[in-house]
Amino acid sequence: MSAPLLEARGVDLHFGGVQAAKDVNLQIFPGEFFFIIGQNGAGKSTFLNICTGYLKPQRGEILFQGRPITGLAPRAITRAGIARAFQHPQLFMQRSVRDNLRFAVAAHGTGFWRPWRALDDPHFDAPARRLLQLCDLERVAAQPAAKVAEGFRKLLDVALALALEPTLLLLDEPTSGVSSADKHGIMTTLAQALRKERVTAVFVEHDMEVVRRFADRVGVWANGQILISGPPEAVLDDPHVREFVL
Amino acid sequence: MTAIAGPLLSATINGVTYGATLFLVAVGLSLIFGVLRVLNVAHGSFYALGAFTAASAWLLISALGWPPLCIYPALVISALVVGVAVGPVVERGLLRWTFGIEAEAARENAQLLATYAIFLMLEDAQKLIWGGQPYYSGSALRLLGITRINGIPYTNYQLLLILVAVLVLIALRILLRGTKMGKFVLAVAEDPEVSSAMGIPVARIYTVAFTVGAILAALGGALASPTIGVNTGIGSEMIVLSFAVVAIAGLGQIEGAAVAALVIGVGHSIAVFFFPALSSVIPYATMLLVLVFKPYGLFAAAQVRRI
Repeated sequence: MSAPLLEARGVDLHFGGVQAAKDVNLQIFPGEFFFIIGQNGAGKSTFLNICTGYLKPQRGEILFQGRPITGLAPRAITRAGIARAFQHPQLFMQRSVRDNLRFAVAAHGTGFWRPWRALDDPHFDAPARRLLQLCDLERVAAQPAAKVAEGFRKLLDVALALALEPTLLLLDEPTSGVSSADKHGIMTTLAQALRKERVTAVFVEHDMEVVRRFADRVGVWANGQILISGPPEAVLDDPHVREFVL
Repeated sequence: MTAIAGPLLSATINGVTYGATLFLVAVGLSLIFGVLRVLNVAHGSFYALGAFTAASAWLLISALGWPPLCIYPALVISALVVGVAVGPVVERGLLRWTFGIEAEAARENAQLLATYAIFLMLEDAQKLIWGGQPYYSGSALRLLGITRINGIPYTNYQLLLILVAVLVLIALRILLRGTKMGKFVLAVAEDPEVSSAMGIPVARIYTVAFTVGAILAALGGALASPTIGVNTGIGSEMIVLSFAVVAIAGLGQIEGAAVAALVIGVGHSIAVFFFPALSSVIPYATMLLVLVFKPYGLFAAAQVRRI
């Protein structure tokens, strides 16, 4: 097996008396889709926050591509190659889907070089077009983000994260707020885009049908700990998991 | 021309000239508020520093025996030096510490007090460096000659001020709407959190916007210096007038600031000609009138987008 892309070693984090992460040990391997499941308050999003530098653990460390990233600022972690899509997408709601993407492309990596370059310059527009196509957003490209369906906003958020050219993408409930009828379509588009871009992904997800269909491996979180992890069929059909977690 | 029309034309031209300087200062204040949400009380001091530095440059040019026309690039260089020296120091060294205050009211209070403290310190610094006597560099006013309009002479320098203000307005429009940097500034003004999530370097944009605002204030002071006696106290007068302009326009409105500066400039000038006793009241009476009917300023779109 190849070396892990992301590794958590004995990560502990508590807020006062609440244990948000307790001796979390986990390895994520290149190319896989790892799904984190568990009840609300189990510490799923906390783990993503630790991995992306928004929270610093009191003990343990996170390694990315073999290098420790614990305690680095979120921007430094993003530069290292870890991007994040949020449960509630952070978008410029009054601006078009295309403009949102141009902003993300322009902000990535270019710093302040050529600050006079227009936002619709091909330098920014071409990657934005490619991402629109990749995430099946072309038909809503000209519409303001506020006017498109939640599913498109979720896809746009993923496209924005992909604009950062990440190696690993952490997605917090990418199908929450999306109708059941649209969930699988959105997940299919999303999974295809990630596979095409060769991006490894960690999902936090509540919908077990989605997990069963798209996960390579699943980890079950409870009280800040990983109860069990493994292939989806083995984990989701585990009697203990079915009784106490699902 | 009738007995009224002549003075009215003069008052209007003088008012537009005055409004041009006022616009340069007020638009800087507006830019800073639009992006950083900081009501910068020290802005008047940036204006005064620009004026003092330009007056000193004039003295230096005269002492060195350089061609007098050197004063015009020196005015612009003075503004750049002041803005670049003071802007990043105040923003990074002081204001940045206030951005982390969670409660909005506490943050705004801290920023008001901090910028007021800077204002007081810079006022004293001006007295220490330049003393209490006014500086005059009026010769620069006459170097470009005069133009007669309806038989009344106006210095070409006054007309140049109007041109500079128009060029600054156009440049700001092009920079903000047509370039990546400008779009980033607009994005941060719209929503700093989303901007940060997109990877826009919000902290750097804050520094850039504050520095540009400071340069504009200093440019206003530098360009006004040949037309006034440069003395301590000019900063406090200008900041109050700039607040009036920004309040009339609506906070964060750039084109609105141009219109409001014109209204105040021309109103003030007409009052000087026809009702001298009311001249100092006119700007504030105008502001009061506008705010009674339009509490968010004449260009209320400021509620949606700030610059």
